[in-house]
Amino acid sequence: MMRRLQSRTFWIGLLLGLAGVLVMMKLPAFIDSYTAQTNKTLLAGDPALLARAKPLLAKDFPTAGELGPLHRAPTIAELRARGATSVIALSQDAHGLHVVVYAEDPSVAQPSQLRRDLLPLNLQMQTHLPESQVHALIQIPVDVRSVSEKFGTVAAANAAKIIAYVLLVLLYVLIIINSQLIMSSVAEEKTSRIAELLVASVRPSSLLAAKVGASATLAIVQMIVWVASAYAFGMHTAPVASRSGDSDVTFSLNGISPGDIAGFVIFFLLGFLQMATLFGAVGSLINRTEDLGSVSGPLFIPVIAAFFIALAALDVPNSPAVVVTSFIPLIAPFVMFARIVVSNVPFWQVALSFVINAAAIWGIALLGGKIYRIGMLLYGRPPRFAQIVHLLRS
Amino acid sequence: MLQASHLRKEFGSVVAVRDVSFEIPSGTTFGLLGPNGAGKTTTMRMVVGIYAPDGGTVTWNGAPIDERVRRRFGYLPEERGLYGKMKVRDQIVYFGRLHGLLDTDAKARADHWIEQLGLQQYAVRPCSELSKGNQQKVQVACAAVHDPELLILDEPFSGLDPVNADVLLATLNDLKRRGTSLVLSSHQMWQLEQICDRFCIITGGENRAGGSLAQLRAGWPTRVIKVEPSTDAVRNVMQSVSGSHALPGENGALYYQVPANTEFPQLLRALVQADAITRFDAMEPSLQDIYIHTISRGQAD
Repeated sequence: MMRRLQSRTFWIGLLLGLAGVLVMMKLPAFIDSYTAQTNKTLLAGDPALLARAKPLLAKDFPTAGELGPLHRAPTIAELRARGATSVIALSQDAHGLHVVVYAEDPSVAQPSQLRRDLLPLNLQMQTHLPESQVHALIQIPVDVRSVSEKFGTVAAANAAKIIAYVLLVLLYVLIIINSQLIMSSVAEEKTSRIAELLVASVRPSSLLAAKVGASATLAIVQMIVWVASAYAFGMHTAPVASRSGDSDVTFSLNGISPGDIAGFVIFFLLGFLQMATLFGAVGSLINRTEDLGSVSGPLFIPVIAAFFIALAALDVPNSPAVVVTSFIPLIAPFVMFARIVVSNVPFWQVALSFVINAAAIWGIALLGGKIYRIGMLLYGRPPRFAQIVHLLRS
Repeated sequence: MLQASHLRKEFGSVVAVRDVSFEIPSGTTFGLLGPNGAGKTTTMRMVVGIYAPDGGTVTWNGAPIDERVRRRFGYLPEERGLYGKMKVRDQIVYFGRLHGLLDTDAKARADHWIEQLGLQQYAVRPCSELSKGNQQKVQVACAAVHDPELLILDEPFSGLDPVNADVLLATLNDLKRRGTSLVLSSHQMWQLEQICDRFCIITGGENRAGGSLAQLRAGWPTRVIKVEPSTDAVRNVMQSVSGSHALPGENGALYYQVPANTEFPQLLRALVQADAITRFDAMEPSLQDIYIHTISRGQAD
C-alpha cells in the first residue's frame, strides 16, 4: 500500500479525479448558461400579438429580437446576422393562435413547451375571458403525496435519484480505475520477471489479497478526499432541473442518509473486491503490457451492464428484472445500491444480496488466487481458456 | 538440515523431475548441477515452496516447508527481475519487509548489503538505471536481506563479469562463514568447485551422482599422469602400466590416463629409475571432468 501511496500515479489520479469531480459539479450550470446564451430566438408577427406573447415565452425561449410578420422562411445567414438560431412566427386566425417555428436545428423547437407557454394566450383569444380567469382555469392544483416511508416529497425523491446517480458514477469510476491499476501492477511484476522472487517470499494468494486490500483502502481514501473536497468547495448543494420540468430540485449532499452512505461503502467494497480480484488474476496471465487492453475488455462487460441496469433501477427499483439482478455477483453491488437509495428494499433482500456477494468474493478469491499462482510463472504465449482450466484442475 | 526425498513434478504429460533426493546439512554449501532442462530450477522451486511436489517430500529440520519456514529461506531465481522505477535501497527494504523484517531492521539490513556489494553510489537511483551486473547484485541483496538460514541461488554467476563474479563469490563465502546454508546451481564449474562442500548431479530429472568432491573423485575410474621429460625410457615405463593409454602431450610433457587404483609411489620409483624425472603429477579429475562424464553416461543410459 505504501508503494502505491508513494507512487506518482496515485497522486496524479487523485488530483485528476478531484478536478473531474469539481468540473462535473460545475458543468451542468455552465452548459445551461451557455446553451441559454447561444440558443436565442426571434419572435415574428403582429407587434400587438407579440407584446402579449413575449412575457409568456420569456422564461423558456430567450429572445434576440422581434420581426414583423414573415412572408417567407428565413435563411440561416439571416438568423445568424441577428444572433439567433430560430424564429417563432405567431399569427392569429379563426381557429385561434397559429405558431410556426423556423429553426437551424429543429430538435430544439420544443413544440410541447411552446403549447404549454402559449396556452393562456390561446384560451384568452378563443374565450375572450379576462386574463385572471384564464390563469385560474389552467392552474389545476396537483398535490403529489408520497405513500413511501422513504421520501416525504417529490423533491426529496428526485434529489435521491440525483444523489444515487452521482454515487453510481463514482462507484463505477473507482472500480474501473483501481481494478485497472491492480491489473497493470500485476502485469508489471510479471513482465519485469520479479514475480518469481515475490511468490518465493510470500504466498501468491496473500500477495493478491494484499494488493486488493491496499487498493480498496486507497480507493476509499480517494473517495473521501473527493467527496470532502466537493463539500469544502461548496458543491454540496446545487440546483438541478427536475425530469418533469414542473419544479426545481436542489441536489444536496446533506440529503444523503447514513444508511445510504453505509450501503454505498458496503456495496462498493463488495463490488471492488470482486472486480479487483478478477482483474489481478487475469493480469497474471499477461506477458506483455500491450495485451492489457484486450484481456481486460471482457471483464468490463459485467461492470458496464451493471451500471446501466442500476440506472434503470433508479426509475423501476422493484421491477422483477432489477430485483433479480440485485442478487447476481458483479452486478448486484451497483443495482442493490441504486435500489437502496431510491426505494424501501426489504431488509431480507439486502441481507441476502450481501451474503451472496460476500460468498462470491470468497469463491472469486479462491479461483483468482489459483489463476494468479499459475499465471505468475507462466511465460510464453498467453494460455488458452482450455489450458487455464486444465492447469486449475491439475 | 534440508532433506529432499524422491521429489517428482509433472506438468501435463511432461515429467520435469522424476526422482531427485538429497540432504543438505546446516551450514553446508551445496551445488546442484545438471544440463539445461535437467530439472534443477523445478527442484529449487519445490524446495522454496513455489511448486507443490507431485511426489516426495521436502523438510527443513524435519518439518515440512510451510509459510513460517519459507520466510527463513532466501531465493534468487534464474529469471531476474526488479521493480524498474523503485530505488535500490527501497527495493531491498521492500523484500526485507516481505520476509517479515521490521521497517527499521529492513533498512539497517539493506544498508549492510548495499555496502557489502559496493552499491553505495546507486542506493538512491532507480534500478532500471543500473547495469545488468549491478542489478544482479541488488537481486542477491533482495534474496539475502533477511539473513536467511537457507539461501538458494539459481545460476547466480550468469551474466556477471569476472570482477563482479569475484565480488559475489566473496559474498557467498562470507555467508558460508556465518553459517548460512547455500544451494547453488551454475554452469561455472570452477566457481562451484571453489565454494561448494557437496554436489548433486541430476539429468533427466533424476540423481546421477552426489556427495563431496572427494567422494565424487573416489568414484572416478581413472587418473591423468603428467610426466617430464618426454623420453622413450619414460614412455616405456608409462606404457607398462596396466590399463594405461597415452593422451596428447604438450610443452615437452607426456600425459597418460591410468586406472585410479594404480600404485603411484611404485610408478614414481620406476620412472625415477628409468630417467631423470623433472615433473610427476597424478592429477585428480576436476568437477567439470566428473560432470561431463556423468552427464554423458546419463545420456547414454
